[in-house]
Amino acid sequence: MIHVFNYRDKHFVYDVGSGSLHECDEKTARYLSGEKVSLSKEELLELETLQEEGLLYGKEADVCPPKSDKVKALCLHISHDCNLRCKYCFADEGAYHATREVMPLETAKAAIDFLLRESGDRTVLEVDFFGGEPLMNFDVLKKTVYYAKEEAAKRGKKFLFTTTTNGLLLDDETIKFFNEEMENVVLSLDGREQVHDAVRKTPNGKGSYAAVIKKIKKFVKSRGDKHYYVRGTFTAKNLDFADDVLFLADQGFDSISMEPVVTDIEELKIKEEHLPAIEKEYERLCEEYLKRYERGEGFNFFHFNLDLEGGPCLEKRVSACGAGNEYFSVVPNGDLYPCHQFAGEERWKMGDVFHGIEKREIREEFAKNCLFTRKKCGDCFAKFICSGGCSANNFHFCGDLNEPYPLTCAMMKKRIECAMYALAQKRAFEERNR
Amino acid sequence: MIKTIAKPVQRKITGCGECRSTCQSACKTSCTVGNQSCERVTRESKIERK
Repeated sequence: MIHVFNYRDKHFVYDVGSGSLHECDEKTARYLSGEKVSLSKEELLELETLQEEGLLYGKEADVCPPKSDKVKALCLHISHDCNLRCKYCFADEGAYHATREVMPLETAKAAIDFLLRESGDRTVLEVDFFGGEPLMNFDVLKKTVYYAKEEAAKRGKKFLFTTTTNGLLLDDETIKFFNEEMENVVLSLDGREQVHDAVRKTPNGKGSYAAVIKKIKKFVKSRGDKHYYVRGTFTAKNLDFADDVLFLADQGFDSISMEPVVTDIEELKIKEEHLPAIEKEYERLCEEYLKRYERGEGFNFFHFNLDLEGGPCLEKRVSACGAGNEYFSVVPNGDLYPCHQFAGEERWKMGDVFHGIEKREIREEFAKNCLFTRKKCGDCFAKFICSGGCSANNFHFCGDLNEPYPLTCAMMKKRIECAMYALAQKRAFEERNR
Repeated sequence: MIKTIAKPVQRKITGCGECRSTCQSACKTSCTVGNQSCERVTRESKIERK
């Protein structure tokens, strides 16, 4: 299968089977789209050569490779409490529809033991400290990291740690610790002050922007070349979210992600009627992203990263994020769920870190899911890039792990086209300046 | 006229599981496998460049 698309005055062909991207003239694009257009012998030969090389109409994989049953990563809900009350929080403002509580050290250690025990011959393991606000349980977080490192070293394994934080409790001590121990830190900041403050509020109803911006800036400045993401959420209230991304870039952040909100709140949720505006906004963002790149002021926008040359292997593309099979979330009492977006939902409770996975049928359900069990994805050009979408989104919006949510699909496809265009433009710029 | 912008590198090993879990990368809501890189390819190409 090929995907022919126009982007501004450019024409592209993405070969789904091989994952190759080509740029062509309008006539070739029309020909490849199935229009009756005559191509010259030379032009036809070019296409034949690409076909022979497997870069056009390349063979598509259609079988899901066997999945590993070794656990790789845990999302550790170190705190089901939060010092903010963000309106759109899928985690019920940190409480996950239950009591506000933090994870005791014994439970966190049991989670590490569970991961080490279930990881088989995997040598690199991952733990993501999540909440609520993880820094509300910093002492346990810190001790868990030290415990995990010590236990991993005994077994010849290694942990990579990530923390997602709203930044409110960042101080010299936490910054130092994060820079020493965290492979990645995700900092929640929605962009312009008025946008951020409209939804990310303190418990007494005030906006939190002023309280976090200096701290996040200080942290990022201290981060050196280590990974971080400043991560925002856009809602129906700021469909001009490109301005928020650019605002974040103007603050000196060079690693940014901006995600569509996941919420049922009527005034905030993304609806089908918003799609044309959102698609235009991604294009506007892409243009400015490229302008800045060419000025030497480029930044990394998560969704425009598309590593077509060295990206994930086919196995990864087909088997997706691994939730419920090689990746689980652990809530403060030690219960296990397929991922953080299922946390607290009784139907998805799989067991706990003390006794292991008890509901094997849930794990089997997730393990057998792959791109090819998502029937609607079969004729979609984006399938080997998005892997059939997020299982949690699929379930929560469509009632089925394998039923992709059309709104998410539409945004995904637009982002991918923008990313492909950006890649081509960057290459052209580099060639011009070689 | 058609010009190749990008094509995937040939892999010696696939499915090694060395890459990071998708959900750990940035977003936690619209994680995209295709936005990731292969850790092994990245590491090996860095060594080659050196």
